[in-house]
Amino acid sequence: MNRFLIPGALLALALVYPLLVQSLPVYERLGALVLLGAIGASAWNIVGGYAGQVSVGHAVFFGFGAYSSVVVYTHLGWPPIAGAPLGMALSVLLAAVIGVPTLRLSGHYFSMATIAVGELVRVLSSTSEFLGGAQGLGGPAIPRTVFDLSFLSAMPFYYIFLVVLSLLLLLTWIIERGRMGFYLRAIKDSERAARSLGVSAGRYKLYAYMLSGAFAALAGSLYLCMFGFVDPDSGFGILISVKMVVMAALGGAGQLFGPLVGALILVPLEELSNSLLGGQGAGLTFVVYGAIIVIIARFLPSGLLSLLNRRKVNRVD
Amino acid sequence: MLIDARNVVKAFGAFKAVDDASVSVEEGDILGLIGPNGAGKSTFFNCLTGDLPVTSGTVSFAGADVTRLPPEARAALGLARTFQVPLTFESMSVLDNAMIGALLRHPQARDARAKAREVLERVGLGPLIDTPARSLGTPGRKRLEIARALASEPKALLLDEAMAGLTPTEVRDAIELVKRVHGGGITIVIVEHIMEVIVSLASRVVVFHQGREIARGTPREVTSDPAVIEAYLGRRKVRHA
Repeated sequence: MNRFLIPGALLALALVYPLLVQSLPVYERLGALVLLGAIGASAWNIVGGYAGQVSVGHAVFFGFGAYSSVVVYTHLGWPPIAGAPLGMALSVLLAAVIGVPTLRLSGHYFSMATIAVGELVRVLSSTSEFLGGAQGLGGPAIPRTVFDLSFLSAMPFYYIFLVVLSLLLLLTWIIERGRMGFYLRAIKDSERAARSLGVSAGRYKLYAYMLSGAFAALAGSLYLCMFGFVDPDSGFGILISVKMVVMAALGGAGQLFGPLVGALILVPLEELSNSLLGGQGAGLTFVVYGAIIVIIARFLPSGLLSLLNRRKVNRVD
Repeated sequence: MLIDARNVVKAFGAFKAVDDASVSVEEGDILGLIGPNGAGKSTFFNCLTGDLPVTSGTVSFAGADVTRLPPEARAALGLARTFQVPLTFESMSVLDNAMIGALLRHPQARDARAKAREVLERVGLGPLIDTPARSLGTPGRKRLEIARALASEPKALLLDEAMAGLTPTEVRDAIELVKRVHGGGITIVIVEHIMEVIVSLASRVVVFHQGREIARGTPREVTSDPAVIEAYLGRRKVRHA
């Protein structure tokens, strides 16, 4: 037995999943959505989970990614996926701009600042002609080349998302085991103690925030490629930020597979409630997320994964 | 001179918690900072480590002016500390706690792990390496703080009431540990309430009272100093007939 067994088995299962569901479009779509949710939540996990800086404004980065992709199509005629590197680069810059003043704030104050920035950007985007205003912008209606990533089924997206998620988790795993991973956890536990041991807390939090922002932007770009449309609410809406937080927290924030576990539960739940309630259920999503937050906070502060490796802590010495 | 603090003032509004304190520590020394509650010794201590910025005055360490440097930069220069109320990394194992210190000089996790193990063995936490740090009690946490600091391979170790909350037996163990650390060539500054600790450890003592230095000398000298006795016990009431 070794530590690669479970990730390996998961990956194998993920690879054959479209065959298992016999290519039923609704399940392929669901699979793709779970992976996309896991990408966003895993991106959030780097700064929110490992470093403990609970951003509730990651929709800013997601929206930057989505809008970058649609803007390069609308204004330059490029395929939307070509906007992904642009969105990631802009998000790294934006993370530095937001992070330098706000990461000095501790705990809830940081979270509130990120909400404020998120809402500000959402409002600004709805007044911007360049970004299509409140109506938003659409990608290519008819695919011109294969690079437009316009497919009849969700299966190609499923595999693209799987590759991206695997790479992101691999990167997170490498960070987790190295100096940066240790330092981020130390900052989460006690920033003051970490600094007394030579940890440049401000610098490491900023690195984590920039990296996290870049991958949240990538999630946004991928979202646009699949759905072909973004408006201020689907790009910058606070629900996007909240979903990332709730998925990661439900599965286990600061754990490699926590966000994936959260996405595996929440995304099907959301799709189910949407299909049962249709358009009238829009407000219910908030109620469900609110209830989940309360339940996690009360009963599972370390997420579902903590149930697996719950060790009894005995007092020693 | 390893640590040289000159004319340090730390004011909170109009109140001067530290008022013009100058203290220097020679390499290889053990300096005790004592004084009654609220004397300003912990505040002064935090000015040395960079946790509090000074209002005026200068602090230099190992020949470099560190007055404006943050704690992490001072740690990198070789100034390590422990906290009065231990700030253990609660979610980590004992070994990982020590690794955070070790990673300062050993960027590779494997090397840092080896260093952390070695230090934990040295301070007597060897058998507890894999236990979660949150399961430690006060003596264990204080010991872990020292281990963590030592793992960063410091020139000086500043102990902020490292013995507070320990039973007499535990205090004696801790004194032995500090002596061993000092024997390893590390300069020590210790803030302490317990006189026994100061007398058996410090070679020189500075006494604070109301933010100012009121006495300095060997432990024996200061404990017989009338000004010190008065600061601790108050003035004898003169009875009028």
